[in-house]
Amino acid sequence: MRFLSYSGCLCPGAGWGGDMNDALVQAVTDVLYRPDLWLTIVAAACYGIFVGAVPGLTATMAVALFVPIAYWMDSVSAIAAIVTMVACAIFSGDLPTIFLRIPGTPASAAYADDAYRLTQKGQAQRLLGLALTCSITGGILGAVMLMFLGGQLARIAKLFSATEYFWLYVIGLSCAVLVSSGGARWKAVLSLLLGLLLSTIGLSAVHIEPRFTFGMAALYQGISFIPAMIGLFGLSEVFSNLAQARDGQRVTVSHSSTGQFSVSQTVEDLGDRFRCHKRGTARSGLLGVVIGMLPGAGADIAAWVAFAAARKAVPADNDSALRNAIGDATTANSAALAGGWIPALVFGIPGDSVTAIVIGVLMMKNVTPGPAIFVDQAPLVYSIYLVFILANLVMFPIGLLAIRMGGRIVQLPRQVLLPLIVLFCITGSYALNGSLFDVITMLLSGVLGFFLSHRGFPLGPIVLGLVLGGPLEERLIQSLTAAAGSVGGLVARPLACVLALAAAAVWLGISWAAVREMRQGKTRG
Amino acid sequence: MLSSSLVRVASVSHSFWGLKHLNRIRLCVVLVILVLHAGCERAEQWPARPVTLLCPWSAGGGTDRVSRQMAVQLEVELGVPVNVVNATGGGGVTGHARGALARPDGYTLLMATVELNMLHWRGLCPVTWASYRPLGKLNEDSAAVFVRADSQWQTVTDLEEAFRDATAPVAVSGSASGSIWHLALAGWLLERDLPMASANWISSKGSAPSLQELLARGVDVVCCSIPEAATLVDAGEVRCLGVMSTERCPTAPEIPTFAEQGVEWSVGGWRGMMYPPGVSEDRVQRMEAAIAKVAASDEFRNFMDEAGFNMSICGGEEFGRFLEQADKDFGAILTQPAMRQQQQAPLSPWFMPILLGVLGVIAGGVGVSTRRPAVVAKVAAADNNLRMMVVCTGAIAAFAVVLDTVGYVVAASLLMSSLLLLLRVRLLTVCVVVLTSVPVTYHAFSVLLGVPLPWGWLGW
Repeated sequence: MRFLSYSGCLCPGAGWGGDMNDALVQAVTDVLYRPDLWLTIVAAACYGIFVGAVPGLTATMAVALFVPIAYWMDSVSAIAAIVTMVACAIFSGDLPTIFLRIPGTPASAAYADDAYRLTQKGQAQRLLGLALTCSITGGILGAVMLMFLGGQLARIAKLFSATEYFWLYVIGLSCAVLVSSGGARWKAVLSLLLGLLLSTIGLSAVHIEPRFTFGMAALYQGISFIPAMIGLFGLSEVFSNLAQARDGQRVTVSHSSTGQFSVSQTVEDLGDRFRCHKRGTARSGLLGVVIGMLPGAGADIAAWVAFAAARKAVPADNDSALRNAIGDATTANSAALAGGWIPALVFGIPGDSVTAIVIGVLMMKNVTPGPAIFVDQAPLVYSIYLVFILANLVMFPIGLLAIRMGGRIVQLPRQVLLPLIVLFCITGSYALNGSLFDVITMLLSGVLGFFLSHRGFPLGPIVLGLVLGGPLEERLIQSLTAAAGSVGGLVARPLACVLALAAAAVWLGISWAAVREMRQGKTRG
Repeated sequence: MLSSSLVRVASVSHSFWGLKHLNRIRLCVVLVILVLHAGCERAEQWPARPVTLLCPWSAGGGTDRVSRQMAVQLEVELGVPVNVVNATGGGGVTGHARGALARPDGYTLLMATVELNMLHWRGLCPVTWASYRPLGKLNEDSAAVFVRADSQWQTVTDLEEAFRDATAPVAVSGSASGSIWHLALAGWLLERDLPMASANWISSKGSAPSLQELLARGVDVVCCSIPEAATLVDAGEVRCLGVMSTERCPTAPEIPTFAEQGVEWSVGGWRGMMYPPGVSEDRVQRMEAAIAKVAASDEFRNFMDEAGFNMSICGGEEFGRFLEQADKDFGAILTQPAMRQQQQAPLSPWFMPILLGVLGVIAGGVGVSTRRPAVVAKVAAADNNLRMMVVCTGAIAAFAVVLDTVGYVVAASLLMSSLLLLLRVRLLTVCVVVLTSVPVTYHAFSVLLGVPLPWGWLGW
């Protein structure tokens, strides 16, 4: 098989030929001895932090907007800029998540509620410091795995057909129920089902048939999850602040301090993670890379699964354990970025929307991704690896600066801050597609989110349901079409069988925990 | 009035911060001059503000890449920013419909794709090629058939035989059911009188997931364009059996055509630029000339060659004739009963919503019956003041209604001031906050990030 011949190139263990050393040396000179490249990386980092911190602007959008500039850059600089801005955007998505409970990405929605609970206890700055260091750890772990295991991992990606994806989505969705705290589990299930149901609105991708559109053309595109997410979390938070204000009084909601930010605290937390949470870090890094490299799964599922794995046994009032669970999730979503590059470099199949653009940029530079790139363009490949590590290192000082500045902004008096949040919610949701329909979606989700969260329903599962609902149905129907309609087709392949068992295990765990809680409740009551 | 003028100045001028220390009268004079100046400028030339290029497909795809390249070069040609907006969703319905319904002032362009000729045949979208003013076609990519490298089929004839003698249907994919690649395959089977039932089309999101499915042995044949599969062909993972055109593809001359293998069948996807109907003729001509100039440039040609897109340029009038002919041809295939039958999925579209509803009732029932009332946090409902929330909701809804008419700057200023006043902020603070936040946001989105916000009465 031709595949084997080049997987060796990714793995230095297979032999460090003279060519390889030359390529590495050239890559190092290409990357490290170029001041303009360093400047590009720093500029891209600032840009990425800015775009990621604005709810509504996504990492994909940042990269798409950058493409015209990439035309007059050489391929290493262009790739360096893209890698840096995406890594920074994914981290800075945590800034509004933690300060204001407005998740920047669906990946951050996994821990938005838990993180905000810590913020209300005055731990925002500390948590962000941890999120930053964990993102960096995740990014570097991901880059290392991309370097040494890329070829081997790509072979796993090749095994995933529609049926396996279906089960993977089922596992991801189940994790949303798993992370919910006891007693509210049925509410999490209902939230998830609501999200899935909302995702069926619009033109069905498989049937190409309109559902719940009531003849309105605007509804054909369906509910896009970004405006929905901004509304559910951001606007509903504004609403609940407003609702607490007494009639005719000024809003005097007690101003929650974001806590003191200290670099030494961050370093201490980082040290603590390396001493006591080695397993958690390694697990979430690996989960991130493996899930991230599967086209169509990506960082969102990675963050949910990693968060579920860390969060399941944690009581809601254990702050340090909760912090670590959030740290695990941020590690996973950053590691997933590097994962997305694996199928892109090896097969030219984009792992996510960002790598889809990257492939375009590479082709523009006359570099065709695929196995040949490891032989013909080895210095470029090594440069990409180096840039991954560099981007994550540059992120540290710039990220710290962003946390400081963000802390300043949220110190504004509430009655000024709330309208500003509204302005950003609206502008962000409009900017996404330039469509007023998205603003209306955002507004309605805000009202929905307000009432649901007051009734104790978690909002994260709605977002996950919205994101995965479409692909879930699509993969289910693809599998059934391929199996000529027989349900047995869903477990006919060995890997699908394994994943189905894993999904069943997750559900067994959920029901077992529910039964146990009910018994405890009975004996106590 | 004064405050809106101030906003105008702030949004066009970086030097607003310097102006802050001037006294009021001098500020007003500057304002009037600036507003008049901007007004005069606008009347004289066209285009005077950013042009929006609607792309019906998502960022990173082929159409998006062509759109962005076009936008960069048009920007130089027209002298104003050209912003790409990805109006995605509904299998192209959203973007194409928005392109047709856009205000005919010449500031909104559409990058139309082949789906335009297909959606209306399936009753999904009222717009047809006649709902536009075509400006020029840019490219045309022929469909091609791919199999795995270890597949037993070597030629198109082998595959035809396999379809003819198939005992179980062959799994085929390429894109969504009813897409151009599905149509290409179905049209070929119809043309050659092969049994439609022997090809089991598995609907997917696009060519990338289909190719992944091909590698994972989920399907055996993929029908898509050559550039989409180029990497895997180079990698030796998949093999191309033939391209559905009369001439070989210039970027992949080693791939034989269907015609060479004795099959007279050609079909492909195209991309082209459109205006909504009703744009004044001088603007149409200006834009058509600009597009033609860009399309003929070396820079654009290099981009298309490197990306593997097959150039096929023609002007607006010829493009219109091409569309009319293609529309008839597609209609003939898409209205075939066999084609309609092929689009049946094993689960009805309502299966998922009904299943979710049933599960919801079960989960809700279990939840309510096992609820422990003591644990439910007592929400102080009596303290909640819903009035504020209703006003805020109303303000945002009003913003959405007036946004397109009055523009972002005015609408956002009004929204912000009303919210701030609602929250009992002092008038001076209101002015400062509105005058800083709205222009800064507008500038950040519209100018720095190139995300167009409605200009309306003010703004650029």
